[in-house]
Amino acid sequence: MGRTSKDKRDVYYRLAKENGWRARSAFKLLQLDEEFQLFQGVTRAVDLCAAPGSWSQVLSQKIEGGHVVAVDLQAMAPLPGVLQIQGDITQLSTAKEIIQHFDGCPADLVVCDGAPDVTGLHDVDEYMQAQLLLAALNIATHVLKPGGCFVAKIFRGRDVTLIYSQLRVFFSNVVCAKPRSSRNSSIEAFAVCQGYDPPEGFIPDLTKPLLDHSYDPDFNQLDGPTRIIVPFVTCGDLSAYDSDRSYPLDLEDGSEYKYTPPTQPPISPPYQEACTLKKKGRLAKEIRPQETPISIVDVLPQPLAIPPRHTLLASEVWKHGQGPQCPFCEPTVTPSQCASFYPQILWFWGPKFSSLPPNSYRTQWVKPTIINRKAQPSI
Amino acid sequence: MMKRVQNLLGHYLIHGFRVRSEPDGDLESQAMVAVFGSKGLRVVKVSWGQGRFREVWRSGLWSMSDWIWDTRWLEENVAVALGHNSVVLYDPMVGRTLQEVHCTDRCTLSSARLIGNTWRELTMVAGAISNELLVWYPAATLENEPVAPDRRVSGHVGVIFSMSYLESKGLLATASEDRSVRIWKVGDLRVPGGRVQNIGHCFGHSARVWQVKLLENYLISAGEDCVCLVWSHEGEILQAFRGHQGRGIRAIAAHEQQAWVITGGDDSGIRLWHLVGRGYPGSGVSALCFKSHSRAGTLKAVTLAGSWRVLAVTDTGALYLYDLEVKCWEQLLEDKHFQSYCLLEAAPGPEGFGLCAMANGEGRVKVVPINTPTAAVDLTLFQGKVHSLSWALRGYEELLLLASGPSGVVACLEISAAPSGKAIFVKERCRYLLPPSKQRWHTCSAFLPPGDFLVCGDRRGSVLLFPSRPGLLKAPGVGGKAGAGVLGVSGGSGGEGSTSAEWGPVSILPSLHGKQGVTSVTCHGGYVYTTGRDGAYCQLFVRGGQLQPVLRQKSCRGMNWLAGLRMVADGSVVILGFHANEFVVWSPRSHEKLHIVNCGGGHRSWAFSDTEAAVAFAYLKDGDVMLYRALGGCTRPHVILREGLHGREITCVKRVGTITLGPEFEVPNLGQPDHLEPGSKGPGLIDIVITGSEDTTVCVLALPTATGAAHALTAVCNHISSVRAVAVWGTGTPGGPQDPRPGLTAHVVSAGGRAEMQCFSIMVTPDPSTPSRLACHIMHLSSHRLDEYWDRQRNRHQLVKVDPETRYMSLAVCEPDRPGPGPLVAAACSDGAVRLFLLQDSGRRLQLLAETFHHKRCVLKVHSFTHEASNRRRKLLLCSAATDGSLAFWDLTTVLDHGSTALEPPAEPGLPYQLGTPCLTLQAHSCGINSLHTLPTCEGRHLVASGSEDGSLHVFVLAMEVPELEEAAGEAELRPQLRVLEEYSVPCAHAAHVTGLKILSPNLMVSASIDQRLTFWRLGHGEPTFMNSAVYHVPDVADMDCWPVSPEFGHRCALGGQGLEVYNWYD
Repeated sequence: MGRTSKDKRDVYYRLAKENGWRARSAFKLLQLDEEFQLFQGVTRAVDLCAAPGSWSQVLSQKIEGGHVVAVDLQAMAPLPGVLQIQGDITQLSTAKEIIQHFDGCPADLVVCDGAPDVTGLHDVDEYMQAQLLLAALNIATHVLKPGGCFVAKIFRGRDVTLIYSQLRVFFSNVVCAKPRSSRNSSIEAFAVCQGYDPPEGFIPDLTKPLLDHSYDPDFNQLDGPTRIIVPFVTCGDLSAYDSDRSYPLDLEDGSEYKYTPPTQPPISPPYQEACTLKKKGRLAKEIRPQETPISIVDVLPQPLAIPPRHTLLASEVWKHGQGPQCPFCEPTVTPSQCASFYPQILWFWGPKFSSLPPNSYRTQWVKPTIINRKAQPSI
Repeated sequence: MMKRVQNLLGHYLIHGFRVRSEPDGDLESQAMVAVFGSKGLRVVKVSWGQGRFREVWRSGLWSMSDWIWDTRWLEENVAVALGHNSVVLYDPMVGRTLQEVHCTDRCTLSSARLIGNTWRELTMVAGAISNELLVWYPAATLENEPVAPDRRVSGHVGVIFSMSYLESKGLLATASEDRSVRIWKVGDLRVPGGRVQNIGHCFGHSARVWQVKLLENYLISAGEDCVCLVWSHEGEILQAFRGHQGRGIRAIAAHEQQAWVITGGDDSGIRLWHLVGRGYPGSGVSALCFKSHSRAGTLKAVTLAGSWRVLAVTDTGALYLYDLEVKCWEQLLEDKHFQSYCLLEAAPGPEGFGLCAMANGEGRVKVVPINTPTAAVDLTLFQGKVHSLSWALRGYEELLLLASGPSGVVACLEISAAPSGKAIFVKERCRYLLPPSKQRWHTCSAFLPPGDFLVCGDRRGSVLLFPSRPGLLKAPGVGGKAGAGVLGVSGGSGGEGSTSAEWGPVSILPSLHGKQGVTSVTCHGGYVYTTGRDGAYCQLFVRGGQLQPVLRQKSCRGMNWLAGLRMVADGSVVILGFHANEFVVWSPRSHEKLHIVNCGGGHRSWAFSDTEAAVAFAYLKDGDVMLYRALGGCTRPHVILREGLHGREITCVKRVGTITLGPEFEVPNLGQPDHLEPGSKGPGLIDIVITGSEDTTVCVLALPTATGAAHALTAVCNHISSVRAVAVWGTGTPGGPQDPRPGLTAHVVSAGGRAEMQCFSIMVTPDPSTPSRLACHIMHLSSHRLDEYWDRQRNRHQLVKVDPETRYMSLAVCEPDRPGPGPLVAAACSDGAVRLFLLQDSGRRLQLLAETFHHKRCVLKVHSFTHEASNRRRKLLLCSAATDGSLAFWDLTTVLDHGSTALEPPAEPGLPYQLGTPCLTLQAHSCGINSLHTLPTCEGRHLVASGSEDGSLHVFVLAMEVPELEEAAGEAELRPQLRVLEEYSVPCAHAAHVTGLKILSPNLMVSASIDQRLTFWRLGHGEPTFMNSAVYHVPDVADMDCWPVSPEFGHRCALGGQGLEVYNWYD
């Protein structure tokens, strides 16, 4: 294991580092372009949810003499040839700012490779991804020229057919594409929507979110045969590296392996403060018994010479006699309340009681068979 | 993970429910519950009168326009908080929107909470994806105008996943992606314009925090790190509940009066924990204050006689007793023979039998009755150092003391007491000899019931079996008498017949626990359990006087020094061990550290004792005896309400077989629901299914058709990485085909990450004492790793491991018909190879036979099938599929024959053979093939179906033509000619990867996909035609198995992904 492990498991991760891409997803856009010629004739492109910026890197390299605007809520390390807007894609001001950068002209291409941080609750993640895509679509309706192209990441989960039907409202041609650099085990794919053609009378409105469609018994069924499944296209040619294959570190072209650190580590992730605190050992720790001050049990010299009372090969257990009443039992505790505590064993030995005057109450041990006789609250 | 018995929300998942508070406070026997999840909402009325839980009434299933984050009862109606910051007042009885109010800021939310009991005072607290908290009042508008947020609170640097409001103290707590919980002083939130002040910032989780709950005196939080923390309102952690597995704790509930916290985990387990307030009353470490002017010398060793008497010995040879009742040290004896080097061990059993033993560097052993130390018995056993002492107790009848001397000689002493109780007798019974090694002494011993044998562990890591009364054996058996090396030792004081010969072990498992040694042996329930300093604990059994390993399991991560094993009353085991500088009592069943003592490590003298009431752990530190005591013994005070299944995604599902239990095993059905789905009352069959998971475990499950429940019978966790595939062969019944008793045996091979393969056998037998009425016994047979050589390299830390980290993606077992070496296992490997392994000796030997890099891409699936042709040898065929959408067929019939041409010899000796060229290759799809199945048809042909990443299905008929014998005269091996006859493709069968596919009959096929549809297809009339489809709840389905149950019951499908679902399908 170790730092080379990921290089072996994912050849594109390794190639991205070696080629200076900020993320392996750069290959996905390159392979999508191979299939769809996305960048042909494009002079103005918008990269939504751009951080860490690998798609902006591709756009700025592939679109010569054009304008690339990258939008993200989070800060992103600067990139040459890319204009950055740190803003919310659900705000109209962001859309206006984009158009302003294009000197009032609409964009030819809008791409979005954003994904929310997955929570592991699959339906929530799929919903959040759909909201992100719809927010991207919503802002695209403001900035995209008619006939323009929109590429966005989708999760092919349970309700992906609803997204397809919604995208088909706005675009004449929608396909689901998966570049070969996207792993087989991943449920991500890309909706490549060409020919922006909003329905007649559609007025873009960023003040209202686009809500996702719901199933329609005639048109897009939940479980029937008439589901909207758009054509699926695999991008990238077969001679490319296989993203699922684990390659040895010495690749076939004979180049010697050298570990490359990641190109762009994340800027201020949400967990940064927690990690800093952990590094400094300042995370809150639970109060453990051994961290309580060690009590001195037999503080007093024992004047009593107690004769040995134990017989051989027979253990003696001291029973709780009819002796002194336990001074610590709170009389208010009813048996039903006690049932929620530990098995009721009388237990007076421990740091808590060590400050009591000596011999005020003799520690007594009781076999667990008589435990229900007397309750003792633990708190 | 269970079969749906009562489906409330259709294809939505349930994310929460809210109980309506009744005006008269009557929630004693019935309640109205609003259940919501995704966009669905339904109200059900349930009652639990007369000890029976019933559904009384249910509303329709209402679908909202957007995601539901929270629901709150407002008398008869409910308020629903929706995904884009809007609130709907809804009448759930008839399904009518009464009012819908938006916020002016319609951002996407990550959580929301509604507060208040009437629409007028309703307060929406929303967590926006901009990490802000928005507070607004839906009733602030009359004309359904959007409402502006009253307050915006920022502070978190990640999105907010959960919030909790404590009205009585005016506090709000929020849990966030930034791994913190914040406490805000908000006053009465229902009053607009209040001040919000951050009064606490709790960092304690090591991952995202999913849930938070405020109680009057506590704050409970739980997160992705699988820990539930109990905080005070001041931000101190009072308790930490650990034990859930996998991706975290998703749900918490608390009852402050009962001091309960209930957590639900991603592992599908539900656990109940007890709140105990500050610290742990009833447990703690105390110094026993040995140091004193009156006590000379420093302490050398400590032991516990029972849990309330501590014995310690000093370097002056003085033995001291500390009685916890009288709380004082008492000198029992002083013997200058035991200066400087002294071993000390107290006898086992309740309260230590009142005996302890000391041994010194000159071969002397002293057995001391603690109460009458003057009656101590001294023996000189050896002419050298006594290396170790251990006791062995059989019931209350036989007590032995074993002492290891020089040259691996172990003296076995028999201890008995006079009837008066005033004196003891020590007699040397016999001597044993350990196998040669550098550190040649034993470390632990136990009687093997019924008592004819002693099981010992030694410092070299071997487990040995000795006859307990070798003198009774007339002629020592094989390896009985230990040769000529009889040492001239002075005999014990035992008297007559002092043995002068040593007995060797009758059975030995050499180096079972590696070089660091065995630390304990325990016998329980017909098995022997051993622990070692290699971090593993083993289960063994003795058959025919021979030790046989059954299962080897690792303890929790990082605990490499196991010190002992205890049986708990509920039948599970707990492990004692040292984890860095802590002594830990760990429960493998609940994955919980029951006790943690910061003792400084295992290299010092220590002793552990447990009774039902309490545990005690004594150790030496800073020249004093420290003692940890805790209530409740080794049993955990917390309750597992439902056992978890897998902590991570299930990657493979395989049905092994079915067991029919007779009426004597009838399960009393307590919670019989009213509305059973039609036909869910199946025949009294129990399907046995094996699942493998990314959490590195393989689980054996029982799925009774009658109840629809799922019982995990056992889990095997000896993989070091994720399990991706299982294959089963050789299923049978325990008593053979003639035996009518129910039961099931099978051999299983599992494989996964780090190119690791494990082979084991399972035996499922009836057991009335378990909830499933079944018990499963596992026996590990063999394991294999491609990169095993790497672990043997000494300087591996400095090297870069060049080879690919191969994962096994799929497995197939090919069973040759002739009695031969055994089945072949084919593995699809991520490095582009198809590898063939040979399983010999019914699974006890697993070796790599051949490989091929034909695909040059990650191979995703392998599937084996046989071709039967009249009066010809059965053909073994293998089909493999890769990420480029191509299929390859291989003929493996003659692979094992001598002089076969199917395999090409390796390029270098020591490497595996090369599998030749495939019989047929076929480009079936444009991208990766995720499912593959075949079925022979009546015409001697085969139906082959594959499903791909692009959602397409490919079905074709494969014909096999073997050249006539006349044509190929003289050639023994005939390569079959495979031909594709009919070929059909269904391009958009699913919207995502088709990960499960099974041809059930020549005209019925079922496919399952990540788009959560299970679709049945009609075959045999040209193109496959859609029959019907169903939505299921398990996301990311990785594997599916489907089998017919009975004509009236139809088929059962088990779907494994993020969870497990069993689906019944009636044709």
